[in-house]
Amino acid sequence: MRTRALIAVSLIGLLALLLFGLEPRAGAQGGGTVVGEVKYQGTPPAPGMLKVTKDTEVCGKEKTSSELVVGPDKGIQWAVVSVTGAKGSPPKPAKKPALDQKGCEFHPHVLLVPAGAEVDILNSDGVLHNIHTFSTANAPFNKSQPKFKKVIEAKFDKPEIVKVKCDVHGWMGGWVVVMDHPWHAVTDAKGAFKLENVPAGKHKVEVWHETLGKVAKEVEVKAGAETRVAFELGKK
Amino acid sequence: MKRLLGSRFLQAILVLVVTFVIFRFGIQPPAPWSVVTLYMAIVLLSVLVWVSADSDSWRAFLAPIRATLVEERRRPLLYALLGLLPLGVGYYAYLQAAPRTEAPVELRVIHPAPPSSITFRGKTLDIQGLENPLRKDAATLEQHVREGGTIYVRNCVYCHGDNLDGQGHFAHGFSPPPANLADPGTIAMLQESYVFWRIAKGGPGLPKESTPWNSAMPAWEDRLSEEEIWKVVLYLYAATGQEPRRWEHAGGPGPAVASGGGRPPGRTLPGPAAAEAQQAGDVALGRRVYERKCAYCHGLEGKGDGPAAELLHPKPRDFTRGLYKIRSTPSGQVPTDRDLFEVITRGMPGTSMPAWPMLHERERWALVAYMKTLSDRFQGEPPKPVAFPKQIPVSEASIARGKEMYEAIECNKCHGDAGRADGPSAPELEDDWGHPIKPANLTQPWTFRGGPRREDIVRRLATGLMGTPMPTFGETVQDYKEYKKGESEEKQDPKVWAEWKDANLWDLANYVRSLGPERPNWATFLVVRGVEGEIPLDPTAEFWERQPAANIPLVGQVIQDPREFAPTVAQVSVRAVYTSEEVAFHLAWDDPTPSKPDPAKKVFADAVAIQLPVKLEPTERPYFLMGDGARPVYLLTWRSDGGVGEANVTGLGKLTPQRGEAVQARGQVAYADGRYRLVIKRPLETGDANDFAFPAREFFPVAFFAWDGSSGEQGSKGSISSWYYIRVEAPPSRRQFVIPPLVVLLAVVAEVLAVRWARRQGAGSR
Repeated sequence: MRTRALIAVSLIGLLALLLFGLEPRAGAQGGGTVVGEVKYQGTPPAPGMLKVTKDTEVCGKEKTSSELVVGPDKGIQWAVVSVTGAKGSPPKPAKKPALDQKGCEFHPHVLLVPAGAEVDILNSDGVLHNIHTFSTANAPFNKSQPKFKKVIEAKFDKPEIVKVKCDVHGWMGGWVVVMDHPWHAVTDAKGAFKLENVPAGKHKVEVWHETLGKVAKEVEVKAGAETRVAFELGKK
Repeated sequence: MKRLLGSRFLQAILVLVVTFVIFRFGIQPPAPWSVVTLYMAIVLLSVLVWVSADSDSWRAFLAPIRATLVEERRRPLLYALLGLLPLGVGYYAYLQAAPRTEAPVELRVIHPAPPSSITFRGKTLDIQGLENPLRKDAATLEQHVREGGTIYVRNCVYCHGDNLDGQGHFAHGFSPPPANLADPGTIAMLQESYVFWRIAKGGPGLPKESTPWNSAMPAWEDRLSEEEIWKVVLYLYAATGQEPRRWEHAGGPGPAVASGGGRPPGRTLPGPAAAEAQQAGDVALGRRVYERKCAYCHGLEGKGDGPAAELLHPKPRDFTRGLYKIRSTPSGQVPTDRDLFEVITRGMPGTSMPAWPMLHERERWALVAYMKTLSDRFQGEPPKPVAFPKQIPVSEASIARGKEMYEAIECNKCHGDAGRADGPSAPELEDDWGHPIKPANLTQPWTFRGGPRREDIVRRLATGLMGTPMPTFGETVQDYKEYKKGESEEKQDPKVWAEWKDANLWDLANYVRSLGPERPNWATFLVVRGVEGEIPLDPTAEFWERQPAANIPLVGQVIQDPREFAPTVAQVSVRAVYTSEEVAFHLAWDDPTPSKPDPAKKVFADAVAIQLPVKLEPTERPYFLMGDGARPVYLLTWRSDGGVGEANVTGLGKLTPQRGEAVQARGQVAYADGRYRLVIKRPLETGDANDFAFPAREFFPVAFFAWDGSSGEQGSKGSISSWYYIRVEAPPSRRQFVIPPLVVLLAVVAEVLAVRWARRQGAGSR
């Protein structure tokens, strides 16, 4: 017991050291902010509905697909915005990233993970799930997670956008976005995003969405200023 | 000794014994009993002629026999013979009277003489003297062989197999079995035009002397052009390394052409394999073998897109992703070299991937080396096998723990409660490439991709099947033990933990194997048993459990379009009984989804049919695939949307259902846990000339069909069987206990008469 406490304390200490001591202060080096929205081009389709045929007491009878979530102002949720070609060490997360399986959905639908970080994969449902990853840069795996197995740890070393699937519940799809630099974000329900401490200069900013693909724009970032950029994605 | 050998009698006996030993054990493969009996009869006759050539010889031959019958000092021998002979004869009579357990022998001509000419799509071809026109041009020969290979793997491979050895993945469903083209006794003995004729006209085009019409070989002229058939013929000879027989031309030898581009399998590299081959496979050699043997399915670049791929299910693996099902390494890792070598050597049961033991060991290691170059996932540290849990022998306690694990970790989600692949998640499963994939039917271990042995199952559970929905369960079972430990502490019941502390994956494997036998145990013939009283219509009645079941293999209908390459129903378990009034069949078959027809979604009714001839003929049977115009068949049918019926058929798709009062069959079906059980019964006599009159004689032919409507099967798309013999078992009789004693008695009387006659003779001559 005592050793565990000791390890925990030293881990927290180490983490604090990393967070406050070693993290390069991008802002102090004269970075800027990029804010904006990702919107749907044209008339968005009605949200996809999925009929649930098993484990309905846990999963519910019907699910709204998370593949394409478009808000009232055509803002697209779950798009990933990143500065491409950027070099920098990945941010150290304040707490361990977690991918929860709750109500037979992945929460969050898109999880941002710094390269090399460990992820807790949780089963909050009390039914069998399986974690099946479709990665190529990282080793793909497929592990079962029955009701009594609350947490599985996984590690993603290389930058990649990894699809995650549960074969038991075929509709369950999620994404783990592994990045080796700090300038990326996932859009919220309104399609808005914010990239902070982006080094001043010209950059290519890219948006990726699981069904709509990729769009990129040149953006000039000025130190200490906020640059606005708007993206539009649509079915091709 | 010299005197002994000089005895005519002993010489005769010696000749008989020696020739028998030669005929029985000296001929390889063993000659059938009927042939041995025939030869022995001839030898016996010759010996008798020899010993009776003159009267001295004859007397010398008879002397020991007479002496035994007459002389005082040979009494013990005489009594022994008097006792043993009747017993031997009686035993033989018992064997003859006991119910037979084999189908009757059928004699047919396997290589009938070809006709001198045939009509091919309206064009007359002279078979006599005809040469393969594609052999004339040596420049295009290799190209033609390759194209022939492509046609072969898209049409012929299901029965004749990748190795042309008649071991294709549907071969077990056919009787007679598909021809082994690699055997020197088949195409090597024939001219190419003969092979052309057999391919073009198939089983239906066999001449009279080859009846009964059992060959499932389709008449390929319906689907392949003249040139395509010649290409396939080229491929057959090239791939097996055989040379066709040539017609003897008056004007000297025919065109001298080497046989195709391919070298014979397994003969590429004579000599022993190098022991160090395990680490140093020859990539260049592997590539050559790959292109010759594997590329037809797995594609030239290893993407799983060879010309055969679209017709195969499960799909051939795409090697470029480096995801392998059968591994000893953890999830996420590539397999070891040994893993790959084993899969090549053993094949993957239940799929179209055959075993390749005929490839030289060095060729197989070379293939491993080449396969590893197809994906960059093999670069880096060599993978390490997972630790193997300590073996737990099979016991009731272990199986019970395994069952508890099966339920706790929810194997049933895909594999179903009874293991018949009918879990709620089963219909929507996909592999990593988005192709639909079925979970294993755990009651049929002979279809397990990685093998049916317990250690195979443990390994699959520990490492998962990469690229498929099957995850790993190794850690999971450890976690379940922790859970049981907690439970034990909570309930303060140390017995629970005592039972579980050594539990591991072997328990689960022991349970899985308890669900089905290692081998399918397929029947070669069926029995319809004579019973008394009312036959129950309820298929779940205990009565049916008591009847012996015959498992009949079913395979996809790949003979007429549209074809079925991946049938759902792989076997049907048949029980049959009759009384003085009715006959009943009990069928059981696995189908994971009871279908409600919805043609808009391409979902049709589930169905089965029992096929019988309308008329029994002495030798000829209707064409096994629903008969033809000359010999129609009679069907007892069941459909999930229409119940039991009767029908008359004159060929696939030419079905006339009986209606109204003509339908005298009744039935009842039950569905549970991925399994249909069905009883169909009918009066023995129906008074209808379109019905099979039952039971006409001791043996009659029967065949079975099944359709899984939810995978789009209907009409010609479905599972089929060959003709099987069904034997009518007489109601319990005492024949076998009455006849032998009578025979023994007769033999004793004959002996006594013989002895008395000999004595009188002896007395007279003195």
